[in-house]
Amino acid sequence: MTEHSRLRWLRLAVIVMIAALFFLPLWWMAVSAMRPGDAIFRYLSPLSPWSFLPREWTAEHMLGIWQGSFGRAIFNSIFVTLVTVIGGLAVCSTAAFALAVIDFPFRKSVFFVMVISFLIPFDAIAVPLYGIMRLLDLQNTYTGLILPGIGNGLAVFLLRQFFIGIPKDLREAAFVDGMGWFGIFWRIYLPLSGPAMLSAALILFVFQWQAYLWPLLIAPSPEYKVAAVAIAQFSNEYQANFGLIFAASLVISIIPMVVLTILQRYYSTSVASTGGKE
Amino acid sequence: MTKRSAILAALAFLMPALVSVFLLRLWPAAVAVNTSLIPPGSDTYGLDNFRYIFTDPVFLNSLKVTLVFLVIVNPLQIAISLALALLMNTAVPLIGFWRTVILLPVAIPQSVSAVVWGVALRPDGLVNAVLVALGMEPQRFLTSPDQALASIILIVSWIGVGYWMTFILAGLQDIPKSLYEAVTIDGANPWQRFRFVTLPQLRRPLTFVLVANTVANFLIFAPIQILTAGGPEGSTDLIMNTVYTQAFIISDPESAAASTVVLVAVVLLIVILQFRMMRTEDGHD
Repeated sequence: MTEHSRLRWLRLAVIVMIAALFFLPLWWMAVSAMRPGDAIFRYLSPLSPWSFLPREWTAEHMLGIWQGSFGRAIFNSIFVTLVTVIGGLAVCSTAAFALAVIDFPFRKSVFFVMVISFLIPFDAIAVPLYGIMRLLDLQNTYTGLILPGIGNGLAVFLLRQFFIGIPKDLREAAFVDGMGWFGIFWRIYLPLSGPAMLSAALILFVFQWQAYLWPLLIAPSPEYKVAAVAIAQFSNEYQANFGLIFAASLVISIIPMVVLTILQRYYSTSVASTGGKE
Repeated sequence: MTKRSAILAALAFLMPALVSVFLLRLWPAAVAVNTSLIPPGSDTYGLDNFRYIFTDPVFLNSLKVTLVFLVIVNPLQIAISLALALLMNTAVPLIGFWRTVILLPVAIPQSVSAVVWGVALRPDGLVNAVLVALGMEPQRFLTSPDQALASIILIVSWIGVGYWMTFILAGLQDIPKSLYEAVTIDGANPWQRFRFVTLPQLRRPLTFVLVANTVANFLIFAPIQILTAGGPEGSTDLIMNTVYTQAFIISDPESAAASTVVLVAVVLLIVILQFRMMRTEDGHD
């Protein structure tokens, strides 16, 4: 073996070890969800391979979580996130199109306000916003949950970057053919922007699936509670039943984990192109 | 295409986004400023609410804790993400998969990560089991005033570093190979290559990560609210938790509004300061 290839294998070994270390808490969560409740801590002292590999399997917890209000919370999360992605794409792509393509006065200032709104995270303003949403009677409604997620500065930024890259000739030709702005947006820009739209969708998805402070404030009733909030209260209710807590955690985590693993390429490029590149 | 029709079209396309910027940012910001300037039980404007929070030991403590937290967590996360990015910037088998594994925690709700880590950090939990297996003493972690903030730093870093790594990794991949070839011909060693090519070329993504990371860490809430409620002894009382407590636990909307104004002002300031910092460094390079 040459020194170069030995170094390469060493590097791979380090990478795999670090990845394993990062994955360990998630693996432990998954294993603990599927083993009998009393086995979760029993196999921890002393630490052994059985700490991470269940000797006995049980589906008890994975089935048990669906008996209470957790199913409703997962449904709420999925519904709210789906609508946020669709609504967010509509709002952000139209804004990005105007900012990238149409020439109008104060374009830079409008873009600046949107960038600032991206730099100041939404949570900072959550407390006064709660007062406004109460005024508008949007407590415990899907609208109240969804609204704050649809105007996403990151998604606007990303889509604008992408739209700027589409050659001008295309829209000039379309103008000559008598196409209006909406036609240009709908028939030319959107069909060319599949990957960028997918990236923006992922940003919106991750944001809304994660949301905690806002849903905690705006939708505390069991009917509208989302999974990220339910799990925190779950862990108080089922103090002693760690099996159930881990099972619920696993269900909430597995959805974004699968999505991200499949679409990792789009997420990474979307994330990267919003910072560090011009 | 006349100018007027372009303006009308732009307005139509921008309308939903402008409405949401107004409804979700500007209006609440205006409400917070307004509420913060009216002392409780009064109908004239004044600075009493700010005077009150800046003499409130709880608020002052949370400012201190937040500052200590940021001073530790930002350099730590940036150093780790940079190291990870350098390590992962290679073409070993399945590299995309290994990167994804490190990125996964960021997609999981922070509340879930908090709950899982809360169990792992129990006295009889996973982390102590690992420590004991390595021949070390078990620790109290979240229940110790000396270790709780460090435990929170561990949790939020596990969540975030893969995300920040992604930015730096993209920056690394943008560095032209020819730059490395040039300095290698000049006899540069690996450290010099890093110091004089990699680091200057990463200025943009690193600055971006510094800004975005500071703002994200400034507003950490779910792990605190779920795991420590700011304790023990106020040692993890980050500012977002204090604002939440003022607004919804002790129902003091005036203080909450004043704190929100301070919070937003500080976030704005950080963003502006760090962009300035980036410009002066520009001059040196």
